[in-house]
Amino acid sequence: MTKEIEKAGITIVQMANLIPIAKTVGANRMVPTISIPYPLGDPSTPKEEQWKLRHHRVGVALDALATEIEEQTVFKVKI
Amino acid sequence: MKKAILYLNQFFGQIGGEELADHAPEIREGLVGPALELSKQLSGVAEVTHTIICGDNFMGSNQEEAIKTILGFLEGKEFDIFFAGPAFRAGRYGSACGNICKAVKEKFNVPVITSMNDENPGVEMFKKEMYIFEGGASAAAMRKDVMAMAQFGKKILTGEELLSAKEEGYYPRGERHQIWLNPPVSASDRGVDMLIKKLKGEAYTTELPIPKSDLVPIAPAIKDLSKATVAIATSGGIVPVGNPDRIQSASATKWGKYDVSEIDDLVKGEFMTIHAGFDPAAANADSDVIVPLDALRAYEKAGKIGKVHQYFYSTVGTGTTQGEAARMGREIAAELLADGVDAVILTST
Amino acid sequence: MKLQFGNFHVKEIQFGTETKYENGVLTINKEEALAVVREDEHITEAELVIARPGDKTRIVPVKEAIEPRHRIGGGTIFPGVTDELMQAGNGTTHCLKGCSVLVVGKHWGGFQDGLIDMSGEGAKYTYFSQLQNICLVADTDEEFEKREQQKKNRALRWAGMRLAEYLGKVVAELQPEEVETFELEPVTKRTAEVQALPSVVYVMQLQSQMEESGYNDLVYGWDTNHMVPTFMHPNELMDGAIISGSFMPCSSKWSTYDMQNNPTMKRLYQEHGKTINFLGVILSNLNVALEQKQRSALFVAQIAKSLGADGAIVAEEGYGNPDADFIACVVELEKAGVKTVGITNECTGRDGGSQPLVALDELANAIVSCGNVSELIELPPMETVIGELQALARDGLSGGWDNDPILGPSVREDGSIIMENNAMFCGDRVLGWSTKTMVEY
Repeated sequence: MTKEIEKAGITIVQMANLIPIAKTVGANRMVPTISIPYPLGDPSTPKEEQWKLRHHRVGVALDALATEIEEQTVFKVKI
Repeated sequence: MKKAILYLNQFFGQIGGEELADHAPEIREGLVGPALELSKQLSGVAEVTHTIICGDNFMGSNQEEAIKTILGFLEGKEFDIFFAGPAFRAGRYGSACGNICKAVKEKFNVPVITSMNDENPGVEMFKKEMYIFEGGASAAAMRKDVMAMAQFGKKILTGEELLSAKEEGYYPRGERHQIWLNPPVSASDRGVDMLIKKLKGEAYTTELPIPKSDLVPIAPAIKDLSKATVAIATSGGIVPVGNPDRIQSASATKWGKYDVSEIDDLVKGEFMTIHAGFDPAAANADSDVIVPLDALRAYEKAGKIGKVHQYFYSTVGTGTTQGEAARMGREIAAELLADGVDAVILTST
Repeated sequence: MKLQFGNFHVKEIQFGTETKYENGVLTINKEEALAVVREDEHITEAELVIARPGDKTRIVPVKEAIEPRHRIGGGTIFPGVTDELMQAGNGTTHCLKGCSVLVVGKHWGGFQDGLIDMSGEGAKYTYFSQLQNICLVADTDEEFEKREQQKKNRALRWAGMRLAEYLGKVVAELQPEEVETFELEPVTKRTAEVQALPSVVYVMQLQSQMEESGYNDLVYGWDTNHMVPTFMHPNELMDGAIISGSFMPCSSKWSTYDMQNNPTMKRLYQEHGKTINFLGVILSNLNVALEQKQRSALFVAQIAKSLGADGAIVAEEGYGNPDADFIACVVELEKAGVKTVGITNECTGRDGGSQPLVALDELANAIVSCGNVSELIELPPMETVIGELQALARDGLSGGWDNDPILGPSVREDGSIIMENNAMFCGDRVLGWSTKTMVEY
């Protein structure tokens, strides 16, 4: 899906836990998430923390969209 | 008796050499050049009823017109199978065989078969879309190449079991299916034998050759995020409770788009996941963990992005074939383009 | 460690007044056997049915398969699961060969359950069509998961293990018809001749994807999601130290029967001392988060390297995101200089056109492939159904569906079926029985 959307010329960032899979399927901009069932918020942590993590990683994804890259790139997250 | 039609270029169609490569398409009843051999090899099962001849340059520079004309010739003709070539190592001829076979298959839904040498650029261009038999470098291989096409054509027409690309002799089309080994050799024996060979440095053949990855060109960075419309798409199966589009929870062939223009947050009881590949508890309790609408809204309010797109797009990634995923991707991309979306965050699970 | 299997070849199973084994005939006192099944009050209904090779019988939803066995000298056949912990893999275990206990839902199936045809075209898709099967067809009061696609099947699976243990007892006092011996010296105490051979480890990646307990494969009763890779003796693993879980599309699953009879382990044993020095097994898992996958791959490579392995065989129980574990493990081993062969199945889609594994790497250059999980299979009706045929369509079996816009429902009115290979009970046999491979068309 990512490839087809990018092929259409739309800038896309894939947020995925399994970065090796995202790479293999051809995503160019990638931001890691924390797990498969809950990519952006661990339910065992307080709501507040989940929000912080989600807000941070979506922010990294937005910055990735605004960053020129030369090759497949995994953007680093802090939390 | 089944009926076959053969496509040839000007040279093998006995019109002439390079100087006549602009020859416009024509169709002749009966057999010209290699059609004689093909018809002979097909005997008992099928006969070649017509030969189509077209100059390589004509096909190369007026491709659309050439194909249209030839499809016009075929309209109303009864035929069960279509052949082109063999094209040997001739690049333009190979490309012509590929183009016409593709068009005939699409329009008339009959089997199409051609033959090319492995150095013919037509192989790379068309091998995924049709049976291209591995042919010789020059016309010296004519008989052999025609025979290979004919033998396989007969198998198709009589409904005989079709073997793998390697066994039949055509270029693999990228379709992998399971078969039972005959004689049966167990995976444990194959694995241990392969390991022993690998340890000894002897040759072995992997049963899963790693395909070369094919990347798409990197889309340019968004120049000014604060003016951009950003959409969310997901393969994590987030849908409104009740799954109005009845998206399948595995091997999905459907996708949905859901209006969130009035919503800032996906709350429990309104949205859920239908993905069968993971424990749904977290996503059902708060779908923002997969479709981070709340976070994106916050960036919209803060002015980091221009706008959150009216809809988010959702399907299920587990067990979904690449073909289906690509089709859904194209369909979603078309909508995004039409709606003027600049950028997408795609979350996968 | 030295393990002896005392084998009894079951050629016929029948019901009778006394549970006994005589001249290849296993006779079962049904009431007594069902009393063992009903020891768990969660079992609400239970029946035993025999399914033989060649019967015009379809069995669905099948949840588990177990070889009946008896541990000589005391102790359970599944330590830490059905009874107290003890070391498996040493001593003598009697086995009823050629038969299995099949655990079948009387009504309800799920994502992880599968189908077996005892004859006809469908028979070739599972190993169990060639065995004499004692089908435990039962239902439970586990209401919380009755309508869930993912089922733990706890009461039924444990009832199956108790039944297998009960049946195994019939040969407790008998002289085996055949004895198989499995013995490996400690890794550093082997003869110079053996040590001179290339050293090989076998890596088993067990299904462990669920965070919640009750679904994953267990090792000595321990949830494999909560382990890091560890070195084990193959004898332990063939002697009941691992049991199958209740998660993953069924054709990719390894039943407990498969674990008890692991053909790759047996072949490695045959080669031991001749062409290779079989060091043992590195037991690994298939957790979901990337970090867990990477950690397991690093542990496996380190253990293999520290043991001095020259070669490895890696087997994966599953497909989809577990492919990332599989490839990561192969890559780490290769990077550590361990020549590696992988055994797995593929998911190329019904049209065969999808990427075979979701993660790929050029270092994975020696793979044995056991089939395509999404191959479409159409089969005629069978005279008899054990279980409930509708489960295939109704209950979200991984290879079944209630209504496909083009193909219609998986179960048709006349009893014929259309399904994906996914729902064939433990059909892809990655532990080594598979005579399927993949070819390109």
